[in-house]
Amino acid sequence: MNKNWRWLPAGIVPAVIVAASVSGTAVAEAQPQLPAKTAQELLEFVATGSDEAYSGTVEQESNLGLPDIGMATPPGGTSSSDPTSMALELLTGEHTARVFVDGPDRARVQVLDELAERDVIVNENEIWSYDSRANEARHVVLPDKDAVKAELETKLQENAAKHPELQDLPRTPAELAETFLAKIDPDTAVTVSGTSRVADRSAYELLLTPEDPSTLIGSISVSVDSETGVPLGVAVQAKGQEDAAFEAGFSDVDFAAPDAGLFEFTPPAGATVTEAPTADELETELKAKTEGKTGENTQSLPAGSPEKPTVVGEGWSTIVELPIGSAGLMGLKPGSDPDAGMGEIMEIEPGMDPEDIAGAQAMLDQALTEVDGGRALQTALASVLITDDGRVLVGAVGIDQLIAASQQ
Amino acid sequence: MLSEITVLFRRLRTWAMIGALALIPVLIAVVVRVSSDGSGSGRGPAFLNSITQNGLFVSLTALTVAIPLFLPLTIGVVAGDTIAGEANLGTLRYLLVAPAGRIRLLLVKYAGAALFCFVATLTVVVTGGIIGALLFPVGPVTLLSGDTVGIAGYFVRLLLLALYVTVSLLGLSAIGLFISTLTTIPVGAMAATAALAAVAQILGALPQLEWLHPWLFTNYWLGFADLLREPIVWTSFADNALLQAGYIAVFGTLAYGRFSTKDILS
Amino acid sequence: MTIRPPEESALPVRTPRVNMASLAIQTHGLTKVFGKQAVVGGIDLAVPSGTVFGFLGPNGSGKTTTIRMLLGLAAASSGEINLLDGVMPRDARAVLPRVGALVEGPAIYPFLSGRANLQRFDAADRHTSPSTRNARVDAALERVGLGHAATKRAHAYSLGMKQRLGIANALLAPRELLILDEPTNGLDPQGTREVRNLIKSLSDDGTTIFVSSHLLAEVEQMCSMVAVMSAGRLVAQGTLDELRSEGIARVRVTTPDHVEARRVLAGLGLDTETHGRDDVVTAELSVPGLLPETVNAALVRADVRVRGFETSGASLEDRFVALTGEGFDVAG
Repeated sequence: MNKNWRWLPAGIVPAVIVAASVSGTAVAEAQPQLPAKTAQELLEFVATGSDEAYSGTVEQESNLGLPDIGMATPPGGTSSSDPTSMALELLTGEHTARVFVDGPDRARVQVLDELAERDVIVNENEIWSYDSRANEARHVVLPDKDAVKAELETKLQENAAKHPELQDLPRTPAELAETFLAKIDPDTAVTVSGTSRVADRSAYELLLTPEDPSTLIGSISVSVDSETGVPLGVAVQAKGQEDAAFEAGFSDVDFAAPDAGLFEFTPPAGATVTEAPTADELETELKAKTEGKTGENTQSLPAGSPEKPTVVGEGWSTIVELPIGSAGLMGLKPGSDPDAGMGEIMEIEPGMDPEDIAGAQAMLDQALTEVDGGRALQTALASVLITDDGRVLVGAVGIDQLIAASQQ
Repeated sequence: MLSEITVLFRRLRTWAMIGALALIPVLIAVVVRVSSDGSGSGRGPAFLNSITQNGLFVSLTALTVAIPLFLPLTIGVVAGDTIAGEANLGTLRYLLVAPAGRIRLLLVKYAGAALFCFVATLTVVVTGGIIGALLFPVGPVTLLSGDTVGIAGYFVRLLLLALYVTVSLLGLSAIGLFISTLTTIPVGAMAATAALAAVAQILGALPQLEWLHPWLFTNYWLGFADLLREPIVWTSFADNALLQAGYIAVFGTLAYGRFSTKDILS
Repeated sequence: MTIRPPEESALPVRTPRVNMASLAIQTHGLTKVFGKQAVVGGIDLAVPSGTVFGFLGPNGSGKTTTIRMLLGLAAASSGEINLLDGVMPRDARAVLPRVGALVEGPAIYPFLSGRANLQRFDAADRHTSPSTRNARVDAALERVGLGHAATKRAHAYSLGMKQRLGIANALLAPRELLILDEPTNGLDPQGTREVRNLIKSLSDDGTTIFVSSHLLAEVEQMCSMVAVMSAGRLVAQGTLDELRSEGIARVRVTTPDHVEARRVLAGLGLDTETHGRDDVVTAELSVPGLLPETVNAALVRADVRVRGFETSGASLEDRFVALTGEGFDVAG
């Protein structure tokens, strides 16, 4: 009367589940066969992709070597009133965003947080950003398309917590690829390294390898959809690292025009709505900024910066130096005061959650190290130096080079 | 099946648990109402601050509060009691001699537990809606994406939400069913089930175990927020359903293996 | 419980009316081992259809475990079981609906009424018709005398009422076989009699009834056939008469000449016993073929003044004590 066969299903089912999950991964890794394209052809192909309409889910993963903010924040997530921790939060761990694009003029990005969401909606010359946790909306009306683009850039950077050098808020892969492709110069080797499958579509792999020995960036690879030319993924490899330091790509994508209603945004009742400066004011400000640029690789500044940044070096090893006072603006205080404990390294705003403050402090405590002449933060892809006199230097280079630049 | 439902819902204990669940939104609403003078400080569960502006948020807040603890606890009681409870009363032998058939009994018991999941979730949502409407103004609801939906659209989403949470709890119910076949002491099975839910959530909160997270049955428990986006993110619904189906398959077959070979000696 | 008028004599011993070839229960080498201990060790039961079959044995002799195996609740370690026309547990679905059972006392949902309890158990069998359920439940409750307490919550039932509810559960549908484990447990003498009458009437309807008990008197009053369990083994099986005839009759002589009487009995090869009374001599008729009348004639021939001469027929009690050893709870 052996009844042991009745246990058989209990053995088979887990085995089937394991087999299915393993074979599922194996299928996804098969490389597609595609007609050969040169790097130049592929870049042009990418340029045509900007008129496409599509929607999809973007997964972003960073492995910059920063402490995980998730440990230091309350379970509800970070408070958006604390820009420093929010930026760092976006830089660490994983994030999921949904992207809706209808040609170059309409786009919506939704960063999906747990029980919350951050949205940026671009509709012709109107831009809305919305944060569900704070229930805050920002509205900008721009006079023309080019200005819209520039402003979108600014807005995105502002959303990345007024911390321009760490502006890795997940954006559309198209935007990210454009940023990187714009950096192509004689210092960069551009090749088509092969094919891959991204979001169940076949893609070309465009590989950019800096030939500058001092930069921390090892290579940047862009996955370009083989049918539409839309970049589907970006991965940035740090020198000497096995895994990508920064990765963003579609996990699923649908090349159908998204519902037009998605780009119409009306701020919800009860939300705090901030209107951006009028178009005229903005134009003046933009003009001022453009004139202030000293090099082609200058990053935009948060609005209201006291002084203009200076740029040292060029190409991949460019170092941006923000003038005295910048550290305070970003919520960081220089450590020049010998009595300054970690409590003073942050600018504590009234109304901030004490837990958030404690969390961000603990994180900064881990991240910043004392160096000659200031405090420094080294990540896999970039370094930040806060000098004792309040300057901030940032670049995709080692700390030593930042220190050297700060002493010039 | 009908008989199983009758037995489940004629128990005072079942109603006590449903009453306790209904109390969550009521308590939240009353406390917020009483202390609604100060503006929200950004603390507490999500949506809490929105309640004063729109009573319909009581349901969401209550659900967020109930998911990690109260719902798993009550489901642990019901699922842990399925077989062990009958064994403890001795009624299991009469059901089997009737004959109910062991597989059929397992299926019916599981269906009963699943129904309880739905009723429990719906209780939180519906009482939340009622008490919210009584104590606070009610109007169109703002979604996480900042878009606004009318009350009818919101109720459709709430129903989906209840469905999502129900599906989320099915894996735990299957675990409870299996544990329940291991013992004749229902309290032991209940405690073990509820404790497993707690353990899974703790493991899910440890970033060091990130590789494990997609395999935890609690992984998508708070993913119900994806139904409050515009447009709805269905992937978490699908992923959750798939994960729970996996748990049902594994623990369902384990329960079958155990129960069909078990000597009923109680 | 509806008390039927005592149509038959109080002596319940009846001979099986049914063809012995048709067996309601049959086992071969049925064994149950828990750990290393054989709780039931290779028993061969044969319960003819239509009989009231007593399954007798002390507590812990393996009766309930055997019944659990018969009903498919526990798996046999080895051996075969035929129940009605099926093989257990393979044909449980086909066979069990025709079997009513009371196993190791009643079990109830205390939070349900008596009627709801029965409705629940009836619904557990998918072959029963829901349309006749209420009528059948009420009929079963009436039959065991619980009609007045049908809507009362079962946790308020007395032990006897619970026992009656358990019996009612076994009677929910027309059954070919009833397996009743200690059916009179917890019942007062009145209730015990009612159960006895109920079993009799059910048996008259043609139902085979398999009653387990540790009470000899009960089995003796109800059953025509009996099997005796002791320490997991079947030590005897047959009709009551067969068992009795295997027993040894006794003689009891009342006489003033007890010394002479003892001598005569000893001369016949019997061992006499003393009782503290000088005028009574008893002895087992342990010599094969020796009849009581022969003993009496011998006494008279020896001029023993016989004041009284009694034979007590084969005492089942003695027989069972002999079979099951010490500790048998004979009197209950």
